[in-house]
Amino acid sequence: MNGWLSPYRVIDLTDERGLLAGSMLARLGAEVIQVEPPHGNRGRRTAPFDAEGRSCYWSAFAAGKKSVVLDLADAGNRERFLALVATADFLIESETPGYLDSLDLSREQLRAARPDLIHVSITPFGSDGPKRHFADAELILWAAGGPLHPNRDNNGVPLRISVPQAYLHAAADAAAGALIAHLARVTSGRGQHVDISVQQSVTQATIGSHLAAAVGHAGFSVLNPPQTPGTKAKLDLSGSGSRTRRSKWVVRDGLVEMHLGMGPATGERTNNLFAWMREANALPAELDDWNWVTLPKRLESGELNEESLEFARGAVARFLADKTKVEIQTEALARKLLASPINDVGDLLASEQLIARGAFQTVTEGDCTRTIPWAFAHGPDDMFAQASPAPQLGADTAEILAQLSNTQEIDA
Amino acid sequence: MTANALAGLKVLDLAWVVAGPAIGRSLADYGATVVRVESSTRIETARFMGPFPDGFADPNRSALFGTYNAGKFGISIDLRSEGGQAVLEDLVRWADVLVESFAPGQLARWGMAPDRLHAINPRLIGLSSSLMGQTGPYANFGGYGNMGAAVAGFQTIVGSPDALPIGPYGPYTDYVGPRFGLVALLAALDQRRRTGEGCWIDIAQAESGVQFLAPQIAHGAATGEYPGANGNRDASFAPHGVFRCSGEDEWIAIVARDDAEWETLAGLIGGDATDARFATLAGRKQDEDRLESIVAGWTAGRSAAEIEAELQGLGIPAHRASSSEDMLADPQLQARGHFVTLPHPLGGESVFDASRYTLSETPARYPRTAPHFNRDRDFVLQDLLGYEASRVAELDAAGILR
Repeated sequence: MNGWLSPYRVIDLTDERGLLAGSMLARLGAEVIQVEPPHGNRGRRTAPFDAEGRSCYWSAFAAGKKSVVLDLADAGNRERFLALVATADFLIESETPGYLDSLDLSREQLRAARPDLIHVSITPFGSDGPKRHFADAELILWAAGGPLHPNRDNNGVPLRISVPQAYLHAAADAAAGALIAHLARVTSGRGQHVDISVQQSVTQATIGSHLAAAVGHAGFSVLNPPQTPGTKAKLDLSGSGSRTRRSKWVVRDGLVEMHLGMGPATGERTNNLFAWMREANALPAELDDWNWVTLPKRLESGELNEESLEFARGAVARFLADKTKVEIQTEALARKLLASPINDVGDLLASEQLIARGAFQTVTEGDCTRTIPWAFAHGPDDMFAQASPAPQLGADTAEILAQLSNTQEIDA
Repeated sequence: MTANALAGLKVLDLAWVVAGPAIGRSLADYGATVVRVESSTRIETARFMGPFPDGFADPNRSALFGTYNAGKFGISIDLRSEGGQAVLEDLVRWADVLVESFAPGQLARWGMAPDRLHAINPRLIGLSSSLMGQTGPYANFGGYGNMGAAVAGFQTIVGSPDALPIGPYGPYTDYVGPRFGLVALLAALDQRRRTGEGCWIDIAQAESGVQFLAPQIAHGAATGEYPGANGNRDASFAPHGVFRCSGEDEWIAIVARDDAEWETLAGLIGGDATDARFATLAGRKQDEDRLESIVAGWTAGRSAAEIEAELQGLGIPAHRASSSEDMLADPQLQARGHFVTLPHPLGGESVFDASRYTLSETPARYPRTAPHFNRDRDFVLQDLLGYEASRVAELDAAGILR
C-alpha cells in the first residue's frame, strides 16, 4: 500500500493559490490529477525561479501529482472533463466565484457527473458575500484577515512575512475540509461542497488578537500585555530598546533568539545561562549573586535598575558573540536555555534534526533534481507515498484520457 | 436534518496552548465528542492570555482559550496522581483519538507511552504535537512559541532588509502545525476504517513551518540563495506595500499585479505617477522608493475605506490592514458568519471564530462554549465513562479532580 489515501482520485484545478491542498493529499497517496490549460498552470510561472528560470514553487507544491492538459475554456472538452470528474472522489479548484458556472461546470453540473463528489473551492474571500469578487493578492488577504495589522516594523508600519503565506493557510485548510466531508460521505454516501475563504483561514495567524474588539478588550496586543491592576509599572525584562533588540543576539554566524526571562516561570532558564557563563569565566563579578527567579524583587526594591539589566545584557552579548548558532542550540538543549538559533533556509537544509527525521527528499524533475519537504508527519511506514516530483506539462494526458475512453466503451 | 460529519467520534484532548487544541476544536465543530483534560492547579498558558471580555483577565474567560476549545467538554484531573492516571486509562479505553502536546517523553514518564496505550486500546489513533518532533537529536529542544518561528526559518524573513529582523506576530508555527496534524489525523481515521488498526502520529511544529517555505527550500537547494526580510515588497510586483491613510493608525495594502493595473492606478493618482519610467515592472522596481512615496502621498489624505472602495471598483487589489475593530465590522466576515456568539455559562457571552471550512451538507455546529474549569466533570465521568456518583465523590475527596 502506497500511502493512506491511495484508494482515492482527486481532480485538481487550482492555481498557485491552492496547489498545496492537492499536494498534501498526493503525499498521503491519493492520485491527484492536475488539469492544466495548454500553456500550463500559473504555478509553473510563480517565483522563486532557479537559474534556468524554472519555478521552484511548482516543484514544491505540485510534487506527487499527475498532469493532464485539457483546455476547459474550449467547450469541446466539457464532456471529456465531466467524464474525468465522474472517476474522481474529490475536485479542488481556486477559480473566481462564478467562473465555472460560466463554463457550464456549476457545482450542480459537476455533481450530476459524480453524485458523491466532494467539491472544494478555495477563494480569496469565500464563494459568497459582498467581497467575493474583490481583487486579491497575498498581501491584500493578509491585510483583510488580521495578521498584518498587529505586526509592525521599526517605523510602526504594518509588516508582512516576506515569503507569501496567506494562500498556504487556506490550501492546508482545504485539504482538511475535504477529508472531513469525505468522512461524512463514508456514512451518508453523499458528496458536498466545501467552501474555503483565505481571509477566514488567515485569521488563525493572530494568536487571538483579532477577537479583541468582538469581546470588548480595548487596546489589546500580545506585544504590550495590559497592565494588571494594582501592580507597578511593567519592568522592561532585559533593558531598553526595541522589541527586536531585546530578544535578538548577534552571534558569530548570524542571530539567536533569546529572552532573558525572570521570575518563577522562566528565571531558572536564565540562571542556566549564567551558570554556563560562570563555567566559562565570562560572568562579571557584579553579576555573580544574581538569581533571575527572585530578581523582580530586587528590581522592585530599587536595589537593581534598568542600568544593571543593561550591564547584564552587555555581558551576555559579549559571551555569545563568538559562538555559532549550532553551538548555542547544543548548549540550549543540554542546559535548558530559552535560546534558539534564528535559522535561514540554508540552516534548515543543513539542520541535523530535519535531516535525521528525513524531512527532505530529493527527486528528479525533468532534467533537474529538486530537494523538497515531503512527509509532513511521522507515523506508520505506509502513511506517505514515495516522494515523486512535480509533473511535466501534460505528462499523463494520454494515459488518463485513454482510461476514460476505455471506461466509456465498457459502459456502452 | 443531516448528521454531523464526525458524529460518534470520541476524542481525548490532553493538548494545551494553541497548536494541539486547534485540532480538537475542528473535530468538535463537526460533531465529535471531545473531552479536554486539564489541570486547574497548573493552569494552561492560553487561559492567561487575552484578549479577555471587557479587558478583565479571568482564566475562565480568555478569548484565545475560548476559540481553540469551543465545543469541547472539560474536566480537571491531576495526571501526576495515580488515581488521575487510572481515570486517564479509562478515557483512553473510551477514546478513538488522543491528542497531546506535552514535552516529548512526558506521557511515557506517567507510564502512558504509546505502546502501553495501544495495549489498552489497539484502535487508538494518537497524535503528539511538539516543537521539534518526538525523535531526532533535538527532540527535547523545547520552549516557547517564538522559538518555533526562529528554528523554522520565519524570523529572518520578517523585517526591513537593513535592520535586525522583527519576526512574525506571535508563535507562527502554532498556526501551521495543527493544519498538517489535522489532515494526518483525518487520513488516519479513514485508514483505520479500512484496516481496524490504530497508530501514532508525530507532528513537529518546526517541520510544519518548513512546509510553508517549501518553494524556498527547493530554491535554496538549487541555487544556494536564501530569502531575507524585504519589508512589504515582493520581487514580482510593484507597488506592493502598506500605506498610511488619513485616519489614526489607518493603513491600506495596495498591490498592482501587472502593468495594466499600475496604469489604472497611476491615472487615478496623476502627476509623477504617470512617469513613463514606471510603465513596466522593471522600471517600477528600479525606483521603488520614489514609486512608494508617490503612492503614500496619494493615500495620506484619504481614508482606507475610501481607497479600498475606489481601487476595488477598478479591479485593483486593495484592502485596509484590518484591526480587530475593522474585522468585527467587515461586511464580508459578517455575511460569512465568522464571529460566533454564544451565551457563556458564567454570564455574558463568548465570541469565537467559526470553522474555516464551510460544508454545504454537514455544516459546523457550535453547541457549547469552551469549558470553564471542571464544567463537564459529571457528564464525562458518569455519562461517558459510567462511573457511579459515589466514585466521583471519592475521586473528588481524594483531590484528584482538580
